[in-house]
Amino acid sequence: MSDLDYPSDLRYTTDHEWVREGDDDGVVRVGITSFAQDALGDVVYVSLPAVGDTVAAGDACGEVESTKSVSDIYAPLGGEVTAVNEALDGTPELVNSDPYGEGWMFELRLSNSSDLDGLLDSGGYVASLG
Amino acid sequence: MSGTTSPLTSPLHDRHVELGAKMADFGGWDMPIEYPGGGVVAEHTTVRERVGVFDVSHLGKASVKGPGVADFVNSCFTNDLRRIAPGQAQYTLCCDESGGVVDDLIAYLKSDDEVFLIPNAANTTEVVRRLQAAAPEGIEVTNLHHSYGVIAVQGTKSDEVLDALGLPTGHDYMSFVEADWQGRPVIVCRTGYTGERGYELVPRWDDAPALWDALVEAIAPFEGKPCGLGARDTLRTEMGYPLHGQDLSLEISPVQARAGWAVGWKKDAFWGREALLAEKANPSRLSRGLLVTGRGLPRQHCAVSKDGAAVGEVTSGTFSPTLKQGIALALLHPDVAEGDTVEIDVRGRAVEAQVVKPPFVEVQVRES
Repeated sequence: MSDLDYPSDLRYTTDHEWVREGDDDGVVRVGITSFAQDALGDVVYVSLPAVGDTVAAGDACGEVESTKSVSDIYAPLGGEVTAVNEALDGTPELVNSDPYGEGWMFELRLSNSSDLDGLLDSGGYVASLG
Repeated sequence: MSGTTSPLTSPLHDRHVELGAKMADFGGWDMPIEYPGGGVVAEHTTVRERVGVFDVSHLGKASVKGPGVADFVNSCFTNDLRRIAPGQAQYTLCCDESGGVVDDLIAYLKSDDEVFLIPNAANTTEVVRRLQAAAPEGIEVTNLHHSYGVIAVQGTKSDEVLDALGLPTGHDYMSFVEADWQGRPVIVCRTGYTGERGYELVPRWDDAPALWDALVEAIAPFEGKPCGLGARDTLRTEMGYPLHGQDLSLEISPVQARAGWAVGWKKDAFWGREALLAEKANPSRLSRGLLVTGRGLPRQHCAVSKDGAAVGEVTSGTFSPTLKQGIALALLHPDVAEGDTVEIDVRGRAVEAQVVKPPFVEVQVRES
């Protein structure tokens, strides 16, 4: 696992997703961690929620499918989906090659910005991996 | 000898661990699924475009020796061993009396008095047991699972790689040469499970690491890679090759799996003959290829329907790295025909697919 990284400016969930605060107050970007993409293997399909969907924390709102398995994508926090990464339709491998950048999945306008405080920091996430 | 603990390990286990491979259980053996820096798709593409090496030492090895062995083996397994000559190999099936498949395997005809077998890892003990029980006096059946390794070299550059080691190349598809590599015996078989031109090398167990190291070095100039069993599975599924336990089993006969080409129907005797002849006229289901036209990947046991009626289920399904879409093998009602459109239930979602005849990709394996 030594070559997998967990940037310190992100928040994390135990479902192996990351959350990044954007410039726009109350809007966050969501993706899966390098641990998750490595465990999945080559990602070949990503289904994302629709812009405008309202999700609650923990809702399954999409799927990420690799050559060997399929996993749900969960809403890390409650809110409204404001954007999805259309590029993953044609180039799902971005999830493997750049999980924290070009491989992002969707953006959420949080119902309650303070919910962010309940997520793990990178140290907490790494500790959760054991 | 090694590998007597559970799970069993290949003679190349240390090499895989050193390379950082993801390991998983495969027929009771701890084998590499994929290596870092590649992943299944990259390894698959390497084999389709250049060359890959696979450790398949989990495969069984067994010898059958004694006077009249070729006739004995021919009276057990389905395919007609008399269609081949010494120095050739044949895909065949070990059935039970009900026509179910105990194993699919490769038989190497060394002479009328010696046949070498490569069964599947998990079925070797049972194949050997059945042969031993049936063998007449003077015929010896020996399980050599831990006496040999098996390394597959697959892809268009396979000949160049073997040439670099001074191993024989260019013999016909499904034939083998007993060679010498630096004083070590190696059987070089023109066989494989990928659909590409390639070879399977059978060194002695203790010689396998040195041969592997030499091959890994020899593939480097061709940008070859060690490839795991994940890529081997996507490669074989693109070819429509059955995997025992999924597409062939005690419940899935060669008639259903459309492996009738590997049955010597005119032979007087082989295990399962009566049952298979009876089933041949009226099979209850047939294996078909499914090319997914919608979005989603079919997996084993996904239900298949046509015009709203259930018609069968997926036996193997995956993403085709070559076609960049889902492909599957499925056992379907015999009325379903090539060209039909069906729906696969993928996690509750109906995904459209077309019934096609495998292989899903162009075949390179027989090129001379």
